[in-house]
Amino acid sequence: MKNLDKLLGELASQKLQAQTRRHFLVDCVSKLGGLAMAPLLFGCDLGKNGQVKSGLNLSERDLNPLASIPPPFLAKAKSIIYLHMAGAPSQLELFDYKPELAKLNDQDCPESLLEGRKFAFIRGVPKMLGPQANFKQHGESGAWVSDYLPHFSQMVDEVAFLKAMHTDQFNHGPAQLFMQTGSPRLGRPSLGSWVTYGLGTENQNLPGFVVLTSGGKTPDAGKSVWGSGFLPSVYQGVQCRSKGDPVLYLEDPKGMTRDLKKNVISAINQANQEDFENFGDPEILARINQFEMAYRMQIEVPEVMNINDEPAYIHELYGTKPGEESFANNCLLARKLVEKGVRVVQLYDWGWDTHGTDRDGSIDLGLRNKCREIDRPITALLMDLKQRGLLEETLVVWGGEFGRTPMQENREGKVQGFKGRDHHVDAFTMWVAGGGVKKGASYGITDDFGFSGIDERTSVHDLHATILHLMGFDHEKFTYEFQGRPFRLTDVEGELIRKILA
Amino acid sequence: MFDFIFQLFGRFHPLLVHLPIGILLFGIILVFLSKSDKTAYFDSIRLAFLLGGISALASSASGFLQYQNEGFAWDSVQFHFYFGLVTTVTSFWLFFELKNKQVLPFNFKLKSSGLTVLLLITGHLGGNITHGEEYLTEVLPEGIQNLLGVEEPDKGLSISPQNWEQLRYYEGVVQPILNSNCKSCHNPRNSKGDLDLSSYESLLAGGENGPAIHSSDFEKSELYARLNLPLDHEDHMPPQEKRQPKKEEVELIRLWIVNGASTTQTLGEAKVEQKLLEPFFIKEEKAFYPEITLKEVSPDTLQNLKAIGFYSEPVFQGSPFLKVTCINFKTFSDEDLKSLNGVKDNLAYLDLSGTQISDEVLNDLSLFPNLTVLKLNETKISGENLAKLKANTYLKHLYLNGTQVSAIQLEVLNELKSLEKVYAFNTPITEAQDRKKFKFSLEIGGYTLPPIPSDTIVY
Repeated sequence: MKNLDKLLGELASQKLQAQTRRHFLVDCVSKLGGLAMAPLLFGCDLGKNGQVKSGLNLSERDLNPLASIPPPFLAKAKSIIYLHMAGAPSQLELFDYKPELAKLNDQDCPESLLEGRKFAFIRGVPKMLGPQANFKQHGESGAWVSDYLPHFSQMVDEVAFLKAMHTDQFNHGPAQLFMQTGSPRLGRPSLGSWVTYGLGTENQNLPGFVVLTSGGKTPDAGKSVWGSGFLPSVYQGVQCRSKGDPVLYLEDPKGMTRDLKKNVISAINQANQEDFENFGDPEILARINQFEMAYRMQIEVPEVMNINDEPAYIHELYGTKPGEESFANNCLLARKLVEKGVRVVQLYDWGWDTHGTDRDGSIDLGLRNKCREIDRPITALLMDLKQRGLLEETLVVWGGEFGRTPMQENREGKVQGFKGRDHHVDAFTMWVAGGGVKKGASYGITDDFGFSGIDERTSVHDLHATILHLMGFDHEKFTYEFQGRPFRLTDVEGELIRKILA
Repeated sequence: MFDFIFQLFGRFHPLLVHLPIGILLFGIILVFLSKSDKTAYFDSIRLAFLLGGISALASSASGFLQYQNEGFAWDSVQFHFYFGLVTTVTSFWLFFELKNKQVLPFNFKLKSSGLTVLLLITGHLGGNITHGEEYLTEVLPEGIQNLLGVEEPDKGLSISPQNWEQLRYYEGVVQPILNSNCKSCHNPRNSKGDLDLSSYESLLAGGENGPAIHSSDFEKSELYARLNLPLDHEDHMPPQEKRQPKKEEVELIRLWIVNGASTTQTLGEAKVEQKLLEPFFIKEEKAFYPEITLKEVSPDTLQNLKAIGFYSEPVFQGSPFLKVTCINFKTFSDEDLKSLNGVKDNLAYLDLSGTQISDEVLNDLSLFPNLTVLKLNETKISGENLAKLKANTYLKHLYLNGTQVSAIQLEVLNELKSLEKVYAFNTPITEAQDRKKFKFSLEIGGYTLPPIPSDTIVY
């Protein structure tokens, strides 16, 4: 027995001695190569339901990623118009009426509000700042709206207020990302991308997800707020120019006929198609689709994106002036796009960051100017959607990325030249209206200073869950496989806000 | 003084029961392994049945002590106990069969099989007591559950929004709350703390800490006080790890006690606010589309419709009802309606806005019996033929924006019982006409926002 062991041992060591560097290299080819191959085949991009994409077995969705898909459940709304006031409007001057806060005006902020908290700019003990607007109750629902929004106040019976929203990010960029993608860090798909991915779009001559900006700047978080994250990039928002031609080069160049153009595009697409068959990269499909979309857009975009031909009474209603960059023009465009079957229209209006460091950023002057810019257009948008029966099928969402403090900002410990409020994550107001939303509802109650929600608080994930519900999804089942696990817009949170559902 | 020994021994029952199961099964397996050579494992088999019998006896004894000391109802444990005893006796019987023998007797495999059945039944009954009877069935797919006739678990309090004032407070609200939150541990079969909350009488009788309710005084009433304790308090009920009642449910219990904890009082008499009850109202959602059974449209048919130029999709995944629009098919004219004949029963949402249709198209729309939403915006519809829509008995929403229809023409639509909304913005109809003569809601729009000073004030 012992001898046999000895023999076997000798054999093994002989074998080892015979192993050369070449054997190692050969092994590397077959084994390390295999390791590297695995993620290529089954790694990051698994597509829906984890099916492995291959160049040979293409579904209709692969060839046309925007092809429509019915929602998993009967949807209450088929389109979304999301009005994002970038910079975060003050809930205390618009919707959240706090007479108690007025009594504390100019007094030191109570310790209890400051304990263990961090603010973006407030340091030490700031003074309280009473509401700078006059409030009145409006409509049958008796919703409080200030005189900053005189037109909008007549629409309160159409909307549902969320008065105890909260977030966990007090800087614009991360907070905007959180509000739009469900995560304060880069890399997640935006709400609009999720919806377009899940439903496609009805009008094949227009993009499914259109973004329009106003206020002179794009949001602080950059274009990632309408990005597609880990979803195929074809689902990202298509930003149209808000001044001049909405989409450049829609006109054919002189001397080029549409037929010739078609030939050019098919030749390019054919080359791309061959490339795709070789490499199987889904981004090539996105490219092919963009060319085709661009060609088709030439038919419909000039008509849809042109507000000149709208009748005078519509221009009067919205307060639109064709040719200039304005929130009003964007609101009118949003209605036209939704009417033409665009799935998601995202409007960003910049300039709501009212710290009180200058006149434009003051709560009693600059904020009034911003409100004037949106008051008529928003009201007109709701009215226009209503009279066309589109409000029945469209979900309108209004809000910023967070709220503002009941305290006056004291940047660098100094009193500011103007009245202003700092960023605030604990309580702010948003509203939703349209398809499936309970009219005239109000959800959420804040404390006497408007500092924190005390009942019916709503998180960003709750809002997302509710929006997805109205679009016909179960937010817990609507997932995308990425990096080995299914991802959701609401991650592992989010509860449906049933009390604002019709 | 040494009474605790009994209770302690009783609590070892869940441990001890595994011994007879393992040992006896091992013995039985050896019986079946002794195919030709009936002596091979003989000694082991005999030992297994002896040890199995002894451990079965210990299990039965500890089980009986546990029943006596831990508040189990006899009803719920009796069969488990009987089967345990029979298993014990059978084990010893088989052991004595083998005593003073060298070879497995005739028929021994059959007898062993009988013991296996007894073991399985006893074990299963015991498991049901510990984990609940739905422990195994609740993980089964719903179809199989239905097949087995598994009952739905209690879904909690639900109240009809109509005439809730007349509902008896105790019967309609309190008992259902107790049923869904407390009854699983406080029922006649399993009364933890000697408390049974499954009926009014047993509720009054209370448990080992005295009566559960103290008429009119909610603070002294154990039932409410326990619910109201902080969640992390030792005496809080339901226990921290169990599902907690809603705050409205706790408040309803409190109000019931304040009002005298009566069995006859109604919710109206107790002056309960509707707000407290709203979370429990049954939502009577009427289906938007007709409630009839239809077959789904085949993918090929859908593909054909798309190829013609329609946007066509089921209204949701798996629905037989189709939404068809002409959003990219502006050349659609009356003739093209024929291409939808194949899906005439399925068509529930049809959008012909902006197409080349004429009044003639209305004649053929009666072919689509389940049409629920019809959009004819921005077309040459004059309103003449609107009476033809009477055949579409499910029609709910009708869009006629930007057409030439008049108010008089709309009157024929009053005969359509299901019709809820008609949109006629940008038509000859103006506000002056009497809305009351329509049984549906008519939206004619034409909203304006007259200029106000704040439109132009720059701060």
